[in-house]
Amino acid sequence: MVTWPKEYGGRGLDLIQWLIFEEEYYRAEAPTRVNQNGVFLLGPTLMEFGTHEQKSKFLNAMATGDHIWAQGWSEPGAGSDMAAIRTTAVLEDDHYKINGQKTWSSRAAYADWTFGLFRTDLDSERHRGLSFILVPLNLPGITVRPIPQLDGEPGFAEIYFDDVKVPVENLLGGDGEGWKIAMATAGFERGLMLRSPARFQQTASKLLELYLANQDHCSPMIQAKVVEAWSQSESYALSIYHTASKMLAGGSIGSESSLGKIFWSELDHMMHQTALKILGASAELSQESKNDAAKWIKGFMFSYAGPIYAGTNEIQKNIIAERLLGLPR
Amino acid sequence: MNFIFTEEQIQFKDAIKSFLAEECAPASIRDGWQKNKSFNLERWKNLIELGVLSSNLPEKKGGLGMDQVTLALMVEEMGYAGLPEPVAEQIFLVNDVIPFLPKNVTEAVESNFNDGTQYIALAHPLAPNPLFLNDAAGLILLDNSECKFIAKNDMDFEIISSNDPSRELFKVSSMNDAISTSKNFDELNSAVSSRGSLMTAALLIGLAQKMVDLSSIYVLDRTQFGKPIGSFQAVKHMLADVAVKIEFAKPAVYRAAYSLSENNPKSALHCAHAKLMCAQAAELACKNSIQAHGAMGYTWEMDLHIYMRKAWSMMACWGNEDKQLELIFKTLSSTSEELGVLYTF
Repeated sequence: MVTWPKEYGGRGLDLIQWLIFEEEYYRAEAPTRVNQNGVFLLGPTLMEFGTHEQKSKFLNAMATGDHIWAQGWSEPGAGSDMAAIRTTAVLEDDHYKINGQKTWSSRAAYADWTFGLFRTDLDSERHRGLSFILVPLNLPGITVRPIPQLDGEPGFAEIYFDDVKVPVENLLGGDGEGWKIAMATAGFERGLMLRSPARFQQTASKLLELYLANQDHCSPMIQAKVVEAWSQSESYALSIYHTASKMLAGGSIGSESSLGKIFWSELDHMMHQTALKILGASAELSQESKNDAAKWIKGFMFSYAGPIYAGTNEIQKNIIAERLLGLPR
Repeated sequence: MNFIFTEEQIQFKDAIKSFLAEECAPASIRDGWQKNKSFNLERWKNLIELGVLSSNLPEKKGGLGMDQVTLALMVEEMGYAGLPEPVAEQIFLVNDVIPFLPKNVTEAVESNFNDGTQYIALAHPLAPNPLFLNDAAGLILLDNSECKFIAKNDMDFEIISSNDPSRELFKVSSMNDAISTSKNFDELNSAVSSRGSLMTAALLIGLAQKMVDLSSIYVLDRTQFGKPIGSFQAVKHMLADVAVKIEFAKPAVYRAAYSLSENNPKSALHCAHAKLMCAQAAELACKNSIQAHGAMGYTWEMDLHIYMRKAWSMMACWGNEDKQLELIFKTLSSTSEELGVLYTF
């Protein structure tokens, strides 16, 4: 949260300085940030749509890591089609009563809070009548069931709501404005904040190192992939610098973030796939071994998630075609 | 740190864009094909009047002293319009390399090209057949060790046909009186190759954008199963894939141009990076655009191939994808180059 204002626990730095911070973070091979759903998604959303009370209550606690946040978008019947949300939040006096189920909730297995969309107008359909509500996960009536992931980690979870009472002051923005706010959050996720270019540049450098150490038993085809990995991660970085400068000059980020989401997720997968090819037969070793095989395999598995989360790449392509190329829905 | 364009840069780009939309429509390009005369002297003169041909000559020589980033933005528009005249070539391969030419060659060029208004062709092992020699005052010829200048009247040449009818290629069969020198050759050669890569990269990105735009228009218009084919996801996704490639090829072009303007020691790497990304974007643009057009894409009648042919030529000359991959790998694997996550800022 180096870009956050100081009063909320940040450093008050600009986006270019944030990029520099990120470069150092990834170069040091620092771990994935446990609170990144909070810091990079909810944080900016709160700053844009939150009341003064909400900002002071949530932002500092998020910055210190006292509140770990999980996202609560998807439901069993609402994945790519997020407007099909059915979990209800009915206003009763000073609280909302929530009933239903969220799923694929990243970090819910160990988080303290979740933010998500709930249907507050029971007669509404699709993206109307939804509200953005912040819910503590320790309330009576909440059951969290972790879902073991492909990589063996308990990252995401199902959340069941059974007459859960949430105070009305936990509503972010107006009642019924949830969709608009969620779209802003989704933009942060696809766009700049979560996928800093340094992550991919660092992987590309590691891949080059791996190739140079094992060059003797690799074909020229692998070499071409290694060069492409470097080239694409450079391009991604340059493009993000441009976006950051544009935002600093008062511009905003829109449907273009869909272009980036496709690009980095495919790049990440290609790089890990190439690494596994260099590793040869050791590409199945999940214990400590030469060439960090286990790390590459873990990253390889995780790279399959990229084209799915934050809106599948197929949905992003629809967005690009409809909003940037002007094709009909 | 600032990674956006200046207002002036955008103005130049917009000015050339609207000029070319008016003066370089597909009908006028086809007219050149018909007459076997793709070099349109009137359009060339109008571009001189706009100041485009002398844009990057120093101010004391009557130019605007324009930087390479602005040039790249303008050349992108020349690609978008499929401009047949060798304007990008004159700007990047003649004007921009004058500071690297040996003195005697510079003098010969300057006495022949009339402050940049007279076209001078250039040949190099990466683009061995000079363009439009009939319309040139002379030829700068780089082989593997020497730079020569030959005035038009001092050589015999014959035309070679290109798959892109907008490109009149030539082969020099004999020459007399060439001015020749091997002085400073490596530096010159590298300056020329880098500019060739950057120039073709910028043209390719414009061409790729044009193909996507033509395809978007076509798939909105063409109806099957009672709807525009552009409403089908299979078609949308093909074009979206190209849009992604273009988006991430562009910044490589602008960085390479900036790198040249700053005399960055890594500019050869950056130009190779730009060409690689743009060639790959244009290749997908060709494939998916022709597919989006269906059988119409395979006709002479549809304008798509005007741009597709030029893109194929631009991919091939000044170092194709394979050559650029090789150059990038050589740089990356040499330990003296510091690259990667730490070396951006």
